[in-house]
Amino acid sequence: MNVPKKEDNSLKQTEIIQNKGERTTFISHIHPRFVSEAALKFVSTFCLGGLSALSFLVLAITGVLLMFHYQPGENSAFSSLLNLSSVIPYGAILRNWHYWSGQIMVISVSMHMIRVVWTHSYKPPKQLNWLVGIGLLLLTLFMDFTGYLLRGSQESGAAANVAVHLSQLIPMMGQPIAQIFFGKPSPLSGSTLMVYVWHCVGLPVIALGLQLYHFWRVRRDGGVRPL
Amino acid sequence: MKQSWYYTRREILLRLSWVGVITAGAMALGPLFQYLASDEDQVQSPIVSVKKQPEMDNPWENVPSTRVWLKRDQAGVMALVASCTHLGCEVRYHPEKKQWECPCHGSIFDEEGRPISGPAPRALPRVAVEIKQDGSLLIQMNEQVRIDERAKKRG
Repeated sequence: MNVPKKEDNSLKQTEIIQNKGERTTFISHIHPRFVSEAALKFVSTFCLGGLSALSFLVLAITGVLLMFHYQPGENSAFSSLLNLSSVIPYGAILRNWHYWSGQIMVISVSMHMIRVVWTHSYKPPKQLNWLVGIGLLLLTLFMDFTGYLLRGSQESGAAANVAVHLSQLIPMMGQPIAQIFFGKPSPLSGSTLMVYVWHCVGLPVIALGLQLYHFWRVRRDGGVRPL
Repeated sequence: MKQSWYYTRREILLRLSWVGVITAGAMALGPLFQYLASDEDQVQSPIVSVKKQPEMDNPWENVPSTRVWLKRDQAGVMALVASCTHLGCEVRYHPEKKQWECPCHGSIFDEEGRPISGPAPRALPRVAVEIKQDGSLLIQMNEQVRIDERAKKRG
């Protein structure tokens, strides 16, 4: 790791000293040797990246649990959601939890991007991580949108058809792209098996991989400790 | 001098937060179990209704999309559930042999559902049938009856 040689205040280095006699574990291995004091201040991050990662974790846990009772498909999605939020014990709180974490994640990711622009953190040497972040923003929005489609309500059917027709406008590849991402949604329900697999497996796995890389780059570029 | 009962504030807070995390995790286990074990979204009615009664002395007739088979003899209408008493596979009726055969482990039952050979320990279950005013049948899947019992008029 490069230790900045500049002596100005913003780059003052603080060594994280392990307590004497404390075991060093794998966790301490991934902790940095140096963290700039400026980066540890609340106002330099507002913890927005951490909040996004935390919402992602909550979304993953509640999402896997919802998969035990949710049934994708034109005729089954909405009724299985009604079952979840009425008769299944603790189904309503899980669904609300998943929904609100999703809303929070979209907001926190967007505000995280604004903060990064505000603190000029997109500039070299962090320009690659900025692009990774843009990818994560897009993935977040796609996960939010596919989640909306999976509700299987009438609005989700309208939204799915708009998405299909927009995708079909892509030259050459439009038709297959629409099929790969959305399948054949009905006018009354956006819940298809395609959307389900992308929402539950495809997009989150890519997002998780990119996030881990994102955090590692943050660390390498002298950013904050993770939560 | 550091003594064994001495903990720093940081160590105490760390332990307290672990206590909190473990307590919250333990308290979540019950709800988690209830959520996963719930079958409220797959409730199946134990009642099968059939419009038309079977003809006298026809072979067993299946009620579509159920395991219920109906037959009528001199004494009245009877209903049999075609679930093997060994491990629950669906048995088929072979009218030419007048036998029920299980595809899983080869149990064979006679016309009346009594086991002839194979691992099945008991006769195929008979369930209660009621005849409604209009002549249609109500079959109570969860109410088992003796092999010689027949449909009762609902009254």
